[in-house]
Amino acid sequence: MSRLEIYSPEGLRLDGRRWNELRRFESSINTHPHASDGSSYLEQGNNKIITLVKGPKEPTSRSQVDTNKALLRISVNITQFSKFERSKSSHRNERRVLEMQTALVRTFEKNVMLNLYPRTLIDIEIHVLQQDGGIMGSLLNGITLALIDAGIAMYDYISGISVGLYDTTPLLDVNSLEETAMSSVTLGVVGKSEKLSLLLVEDKIPLDRMETVLAIGIAGAHRIRDLMDEELRSHAEKRVANASSR
Amino acid sequence: MSGVISVVKRHGDFQYSVDSTNIQNDEDEDISMSDVDIADRKLSKDNDNESGLQIVTPGELVTDDPIWMRGHGTYFLDNMTYSSVAGAVSRVNRLLSVIPLKSRYSPETGDHIVGRVAEVGNKRWRVDIGGKQHAILMLGSVNLPGGILRRKSESDELQMRSFLKEGDLLNAEVQSLFQDGSASLHTRSLKYGKLRNGMFCQVPSSLIVRSKNHTHNLPGNITVVLGVNGFIWLRKTSQMDLVRDAPPGGSTGATSSQRSTAGPTGAVSLNPSITRLEEESSWQIYSDENDPTISSNIRKTICRYANVIKALAFCEIGITQERVISAYEASMAYPNVGSLIERETMESIGHDVLNVEKMRGNAN
Amino acid sequence: MVLSVAEKSYLYDSLASKPSIRPDGRLPHQFRPIEIFTNFLPSSDGSSRIIASDGSECIVSIKSKVVDHSIENDLVQVDINVAGERDDSIIVETLSSLMNKVLKSNKGIDTSKLQLTKKYSFKIFIDVLIISSYSYPASLISFSIFSALKATKLPKLVSSFDDLEVEELPMFHDYDLVTLDVNPPLVFVLAIVGDNIFIDPASNETEVANNGLIVTWSNGKVISPIKTLALNDRYINGFNPLLLKNGIKLVEQYGQNIADALENL
Repeated sequence: MSRLEIYSPEGLRLDGRRWNELRRFESSINTHPHASDGSSYLEQGNNKIITLVKGPKEPTSRSQVDTNKALLRISVNITQFSKFERSKSSHRNERRVLEMQTALVRTFEKNVMLNLYPRTLIDIEIHVLQQDGGIMGSLLNGITLALIDAGIAMYDYISGISVGLYDTTPLLDVNSLEETAMSSVTLGVVGKSEKLSLLLVEDKIPLDRMETVLAIGIAGAHRIRDLMDEELRSHAEKRVANASSR
Repeated sequence: MSGVISVVKRHGDFQYSVDSTNIQNDEDEDISMSDVDIADRKLSKDNDNESGLQIVTPGELVTDDPIWMRGHGTYFLDNMTYSSVAGAVSRVNRLLSVIPLKSRYSPETGDHIVGRVAEVGNKRWRVDIGGKQHAILMLGSVNLPGGILRRKSESDELQMRSFLKEGDLLNAEVQSLFQDGSASLHTRSLKYGKLRNGMFCQVPSSLIVRSKNHTHNLPGNITVVLGVNGFIWLRKTSQMDLVRDAPPGGSTGATSSQRSTAGPTGAVSLNPSITRLEEESSWQIYSDENDPTISSNIRKTICRYANVIKALAFCEIGITQERVISAYEASMAYPNVGSLIERETMESIGHDVLNVEKMRGNAN
Repeated sequence: MVLSVAEKSYLYDSLASKPSIRPDGRLPHQFRPIEIFTNFLPSSDGSSRIIASDGSECIVSIKSKVVDHSIENDLVQVDINVAGERDDSIIVETLSSLMNKVLKSNKGIDTSKLQLTKKYSFKIFIDVLIISSYSYPASLISFSIFSALKATKLPKLVSSFDDLEVEELPMFHDYDLVTLDVNPPLVFVLAIVGDNIFIDPASNETEVANNGLIVTWSNGKVISPIKTLALNDRYINGFNPLLLKNGIKLVEQYGQNIADALENL
């Protein structure tokens, strides 16, 4: 085999998925009850991500006080061991990471009802233990779950996903091999709507294909929303049942 | 292992906190097949309706009936009311709100809380009460040495740190709420003020149920202050605690510990207040000195209470005076207080408490 | 955590009394319970996550690389990352230098176990991530590293050991793995209060400790480094040298129990 076949004529991808299939998606919330107000652990394919939400809490310095709304701060820690090959430098303060943080803050600033929590700070800490493509989408999902776990009011779920374009076929939920081999788009979708709160296009993509790419992306994001909703409900039911048995 | 360390070991899979191991895994098997889980979900929704509790998640339509007033946890768009948090829907009169499963303590007027001074400011202390923001305790809302009716002077402002300083623990009542939801406290009662002679422990605020009285005398000569915000203070029972719990009228004969069955109101009866006026007017109320006579038995009992409270919290059982006592009694099966920190022990104590309650319920 | 004066003096009096009373009733040699997960990172050669009962949490990943050991003589490298701390903060630097010292090749870890051929060896990269910690995390880190190394499996060599004559790179079996057989040292943190000494101090105990000790243990005996550690900035005092002896004795007595508990089960 000279070159890996990204998408076989039979319609199978490297990991055996079809073009419109998601990777394995597992999530749990309230994983770090001592260390945070809300937390989630997410596995999307081989992405493994811990998200901690601390707050709304008293800001640590006066400069963080906004009398009208809460200040949202997101820090992404991509561990040195997160890829198959260990990276030599720590990823902190890398421009790519700083850009991710800014994009995430912008996305959630619009979705979280920050005006309900004036003069407070909401601190979100993310640890990427393992990454395998489409990391930005997984970060969105992890943050959504952790914020909901923290009981912080927001308008709707934001679910994230990456879609690649292989020749003319869109491939849903790309992994790292696919990501390096083709152009891809990351989107964050608001709830069950077709509204996008985030759209990242960092590669060249033919405009006339964009519509199909977005369409499958939105469908995939809705599916992820449902999976997250499910985890939340089962958790909620357990808690409510627990509370009423007392 | 002779009780040196207890280790729970799990191989392979990483996630899933203790309480959810099995159930979760089963469900995950189904998740990739969309037909199955939609069916699942319908099923679970039906279940909600049966138990009378409606669970909603953010962005979900709660009602399109404009008759409801929108409370916390909801938002309003095009005449529709949506949920903004994940939790149970509560309908009180015409007020519709969604109570999140978990959130920080949000103060309400009249709450009896325990707080820790975070900052000494201009004529006010800023107090950490485990909420979204620090609470404010104004210099004018505390009793100062020299009697209740004394006016606050400039020298008081200058020596605020000699009353309460950073790190100090106090219990207080929420006097009012500011516009932004933060609390203003007061300690203008004999049951409030600086805390001494004991140990602090903390539980999630959702486990403390608001009730008339939050200070309880427990068997073993211990008094507990169960702050509504989940901050808890355990101390040696003082003379004042005994007087507080005594039925009105008989103020001095209250040496034997009394259960709250008599229904102590916590209200200060007039009789003993005359002696206490003096006590209050002295610097004593802001002293940092502990009672020098706290015996090692008392200390051990405090440890035991702290551990059983943590065990109740571990089992997510609501914390009340009765349960603390019942857990304490159950813990007597373990002579070594240190063994109460083990997971199995905590679970078994939680079980015992719930069992005792069931049995009492049957007896009635 | 800031405690009130009354709280501190209550804690101090309890801990310094004879016999001592710890705030959670533990015996002087008793640890808080921990929970260990291992091998949850398929892209690492070994991994471990320890959660202590107070919510302190540490994640360790072990990765390896084949190096020429005549050029590269440091075969073990520890990197520590504490959430919310800069890489050059004091706590990160001191923990990092401590753990590198403890696990220094040929002293902490037997490098002959890492040798592949006459020319090549595995170099082990130990990455530590502290998600949260409420007291000095040296023990937590060392326990996590210990259990991660014990769970580490490395590719099996199929080429010949003697590669000095024939120049060849080491070849590995496609899927067979060998368990890495090392006995990394454990680090214990002890707190001294008055004339008493305690293992595994909780955060409120460190607040009133007169001094702290770091004691390293390996294979049944106490080894270097042993050092004092300021656990807070108010109560620190000199201490009776006899306490050092007691501390070492305590670790010698219970070290094996910990190693067994981390390894077996």
